[in-house]
Amino acid sequence: MLLKSIKVKDFRQFKGEQYVSFSVDPERNVTIIQGDNGAGKTSFAQAFRWCLYGETDFSNKTLLSMAVSDKMLPGDEKDVQVEICLVHNNIEYTVTRRQKYKKDNTNRISHVGRPKFVISYKTDDGNTEYIPEVETELKMKEILPADLSRYFFFDGEHIDSMAKEIKDGRSSDFAKAVRSLLGLNAFIAALEHLKGNGRSSVIGRYNESYNAGADETLSQLIKNINTNNDRLSAIDKRLEELEQQDAYANDKCQQLRIRIEKNQDSKELAEERNKIEKELAGLEITKKEKTGLLLKNFNAHAPRYFSKKMMKDALELLKTTEQLDKGIPDVTAKTIDYLLARGYCLCGHEIKIGDDAYIALNKLRDYIPPKSIGSLISDFSASCQDKTISTASFFDNFQDVIKFIREFDNNRNNLEDKLKKIKERLLGMENVGSLQQELSNFERDLRKNSDERDSLNQEKGVVQSNIEKDEEKRSSLAIGDKNNRKIETYRAYAEYMYNILKVQYDKKEAETREQLANAVNSIFKSIYNGGFSLSLDQKYNIILTADERIKANDDDTIETSTAQSISIIFAFISGVIKMAKENQGSDERLAQTEPYPLVMDAPLSAFDTKRIDTVCDVLPKIAEQVIIFIKDTDGNLAEENLGVRIGKRYTFTKKSGTEFETNIMEVG
Amino acid sequence: MFTHDYSFRGSHAEKVKDLVTYKFDKEHTLFERNMDVYLMAPIVGFLYNKKSALDKTKTSTTNILAEIMIKYQKELMFTYRLVMLLDKEYEDDVEKRINKAFRDYAKEDPKDLEEYDSYVRGGVDVLYEKLMKDATQADDYIRNLYEFMADFEDRYSQNSDEIIDLCKLAKE
Repeated sequence: MLLKSIKVKDFRQFKGEQYVSFSVDPERNVTIIQGDNGAGKTSFAQAFRWCLYGETDFSNKTLLSMAVSDKMLPGDEKDVQVEICLVHNNIEYTVTRRQKYKKDNTNRISHVGRPKFVISYKTDDGNTEYIPEVETELKMKEILPADLSRYFFFDGEHIDSMAKEIKDGRSSDFAKAVRSLLGLNAFIAALEHLKGNGRSSVIGRYNESYNAGADETLSQLIKNINTNNDRLSAIDKRLEELEQQDAYANDKCQQLRIRIEKNQDSKELAEERNKIEKELAGLEITKKEKTGLLLKNFNAHAPRYFSKKMMKDALELLKTTEQLDKGIPDVTAKTIDYLLARGYCLCGHEIKIGDDAYIALNKLRDYIPPKSIGSLISDFSASCQDKTISTASFFDNFQDVIKFIREFDNNRNNLEDKLKKIKERLLGMENVGSLQQELSNFERDLRKNSDERDSLNQEKGVVQSNIEKDEEKRSSLAIGDKNNRKIETYRAYAEYMYNILKVQYDKKEAETREQLANAVNSIFKSIYNGGFSLSLDQKYNIILTADERIKANDDDTIETSTAQSISIIFAFISGVIKMAKENQGSDERLAQTEPYPLVMDAPLSAFDTKRIDTVCDVLPKIAEQVIIFIKDTDGNLAEENLGVRIGKRYTFTKKSGTEFETNIMEVG
Repeated sequence: MFTHDYSFRGSHAEKVKDLVTYKFDKEHTLFERNMDVYLMAPIVGFLYNKKSALDKTKTSTTNILAEIMIKYQKELMFTYRLVMLLDKEYEDDVEKRINKAFRDYAKEDPKDLEEYDSYVRGGVDVLYEKLMKDATQADDYIRNLYEFMADFEDRYSQNSDEIIDLCKLAKE
């Protein structure tokens, strides 16, 4: 398939009819479409997909140009149309997709009915013929299957996911599509026709055609064979599903292992974080306890401690005051009582009740025990002593606790600093624990699948051998009936043809795959010198392996994964195109194929200068046609590197003053 | 003496309430109870030479029940004696001061009690100013408390042995 031209009408930014004709000159096979970001390059690239497959990636699915819809009146209708002119198998096709839009009374734009999809072609005599409407989708699949189209209509924004798809191969449909591109279609169709799964193949129909008549044994055998064949199909289908699940799980496991490896540090950091957080919590508790202790002691002892100064002053005052106690040493109230009772004093003076001596002696009672303040003072000083002793180390203790608290604060600040740093480091990291959990889940799925696959394979063996046995029995029983004998013979022929074809196909397929692998790898190596090699497995899944040198020294891999992804995609597509071109020229009749164009959206700036060189040199040699959308800033790069290969140039310019209108201009 | 309910009033009541409010967490306050302020305040008031009049501009009150007063009577009496013994401004004559401390207390002279109370209130003012100043969180209160204690230690630090020697003398 080669693209001759595209015509868009009122499609997104492209108001009115705008037209781009692509270079089909084999020497100057590059068409450059240059435009600023937002000028509509990506929209334009989407126009291809919409026209050919009816799909777009737009979040707003309305395709009608806003410049047009804004001017529509309620009730007005307008068509969006994209028309692509292409050559396939030397026939010129025009593929048109058209969608009607209507503005309703609330000024809302909505589509009317389904898009119209028309494919016409020019016959040898120059007349235009139309593909019947029911066959258009099928025809498109024949020209370029949608599954593969994305690798030819190459979207720079989805490089990584595309590379992944190519690496994973996705499904057997993908392998089928690749095989068909590589010209193995005829083989495959023949094999499918003879012995495809289900009952519609030649052999399947023969199996259904046996006539048991009254023969119950034969009837049972036919039934068994059909049941077993159905079971076999189901087992195969399930095995394929399992394989897909495994591919997915293996991929996930690999990604997770890388992530776990990368974030291994985070596990240690997380452990340290937990340790510090625990330590901090402990410190807080201890601080709280210490504070509590400090305040308790303060409340209990501070008044005593504070009164020490007063106690000292008071004691000094009491010491210096003479006759604190006017009592007579060792004279107590008992002494007075005794003197009063005997009626004369120590000096011999007579004492009578009420006389001066009596009064003086009685007054003395105030100054001698027990009425003396001496005892109070004595109590007081005892109190002073107790209080002083009990608070002797009060301030020192207080200071110690304060010191403790301050040390806690310092420790806490240190720990908090540490914690902050750890958290900052952890911020960009993933939780290894949950990754590990996820990995275990996938690994468990894989084990489960493996068990199921084992038992399915075992069952498959049994079913196959049962079918063989039953078929043998059926063969011998079939001899008895003329019709059955005929079917038996035809079936044997079909089996024979199938087996011969299968051997050839397998051989051819293996050769083709090997050629493709070599082609892909050599292209990959020429555009990506990061020390990696590509190979293909049986399902055309790309396997990326590091060369020994790289394996030994991981840090040398300086390439970004995007550059790697682009290289993988380019290598794969280029490989397929290269193979297709070579096959076309070969004499191999069964292997026929078409060249395909490469429509790329803005990948140049993702490469380094050296790689741009290589890509620009290699791609136009490999692909029959290259249509490349580039940013204005990449213009010189493309000019420098693609110069002589450029057949046509276009620029996309935003119409000044509008956000949603782009004009296409041919340059030079 | 010290056998009846005691009430802090006006601004002093408010300050006392604040001093016994949780400042650190839900368990810890600077002063546990009003009584703890009441035990401490007269000493601080006296040593910082701060007497305050009863504040009648505000109606707040906060009480100490008689039973608590009685429980701490001995402690309170001790402080009362200290104040009475040492308050030269109030009573110049030593003998009279000694009498106030050791003999006349039972008379519960309202003037003496008012003198004592004015130190209590002065002490509340000092404590409030020293401990609450610029404080909003636990660490601030700890800082203030430490500074207050350190300041006090600077001003009035006492050698315990000296006091104990004096005590022995006094008891002889």
